[in-house]
Amino acid sequence: MLLPLLLMGSLGVIFGIILVVAEHTFRVEEDPRLKEILSLLPGANCGACGFPSCEACARQIVEGKAPVNSCVMGGEEVTEKICRVMGVSMEKVERKVAVINCNVDNLTRKIQADYQGIQTCQAAHLVMGGGMSCAYGCLGFGDCMEVCPVEAISLKDGLPRIDREKCIGCGRCVEVCPRKVIELIPRHKPLVWVACSNPEPGKKVREVCKKGCIACKVCEKLSGGLFEVSDFLSRLKYEEISHKEVDWEKLVEKCPTGCILKED
Amino acid sequence: MGVKFFLIFLSALTTQNIVFAYFLGICPYLGVSRKLDTALGMGMAVTFVMTLTALITWPIFYKILQPHDLVYLQIPVFILVIASLVQFLEMYFRKALPHLYTALGIYLPLITTNCAILGVALFMILKKFGYILSVVYAFSTGLGFAMALLIMAGIREELEMAPLPESLKGAPITLIIAGLLALAFMGFSGLVKG
Repeated sequence: MLLPLLLMGSLGVIFGIILVVAEHTFRVEEDPRLKEILSLLPGANCGACGFPSCEACARQIVEGKAPVNSCVMGGEEVTEKICRVMGVSMEKVERKVAVINCNVDNLTRKIQADYQGIQTCQAAHLVMGGGMSCAYGCLGFGDCMEVCPVEAISLKDGLPRIDREKCIGCGRCVEVCPRKVIELIPRHKPLVWVACSNPEPGKKVREVCKKGCIACKVCEKLSGGLFEVSDFLSRLKYEEISHKEVDWEKLVEKCPTGCILKED
Repeated sequence: MGVKFFLIFLSALTTQNIVFAYFLGICPYLGVSRKLDTALGMGMAVTFVMTLTALITWPIFYKILQPHDLVYLQIPVFILVIASLVQFLEMYFRKALPHLYTALGIYLPLITTNCAILGVALFMILKKFGYILSVVYAFSTGLGFAMALLIMAGIREELEMAPLPESLKGAPITLIIAGLLALAFMGFSGLVKG
């Protein structure tokens, strides 16, 4: 009776001692902030931040390789707490929101072939662009909707709509989109962007889409250079947006193809 | 002797495959077989821990438990050894081999509760293997596990794009495939005796 108790007990003690010794000899000096941040993160290891685990994410944040707002699940609340640990002020963290740089839905999308294959953007993109005439526009199968961790994207008439209130700017939709039509832009009021990604000359854009940017440069003139047309595609210079007063209503109205979108 | 090693090696991969023939370690087999690279990581981690387990539990069983007539204590003792071993390895890797540590990541602590590891420790006693043979057996069983995981992951990656009926997507088709694979591996029976 005594022997098995003794054996199990002593084995436990021996292994315990070995582990304690190992803990001390193999101790890795770590940034104390790492533990603090790790305790702030949700600990769900959801992977929405792009790192395999919460620990990996915390490590990247401490090393400054990942932004303080990396944690998608925790949202603003966690970001604020991490800001405090890292000693960064919340204002400096630029919050971004996703917009779709394309404006065709099922009614306006020009099709040159009927695509019957696997119903994802990724697959359609590989097969001659899914029969869509424009080689740069949104395919409308909603791959972005699938990956959105907060369900901010919904499909309506074959064009994803993004709920800007829900969007946390994680950029997973940007990654998954094979056409690269989704872009993260700084949050502004009003939110203005050019909803086209076609870099071809106006004539060619017109052939494939009624709503594409034809590089007429009207927006460039009206906004006093806030828009810039390069590669036959107009883009808003977001970094200068706060320095200028622009009549957005007029701008949106004057765009001949209506590809400048505004949201209040 | 060399032939015997080879036969043990071969049978652990095919006829006596820990997953397909004994249905041990099914949890990680279904859990971490979604992608090839994670499957490889888990497979390597299991192989490594299995080999070390055999290295340590064999002497404990034959030098301590058997002489003192305490064979009935083998399961708790083996569990104790495996759990401590994994803990120890985790600490050691973190210090000495940080790259391996991050590569194995979450899988290392997961192995603590992997029944395949305990299964191997018990099998090698049951089959009355010698010391070196036990280590070879454990190593090849680990490789067999890794192989099963990799086959499954390869199939599941292909399945992502397959036009499956809605009700079969996810777990159901995975279980069906696991069954078919086990059936296929039964075809190896008779290849190696014992």
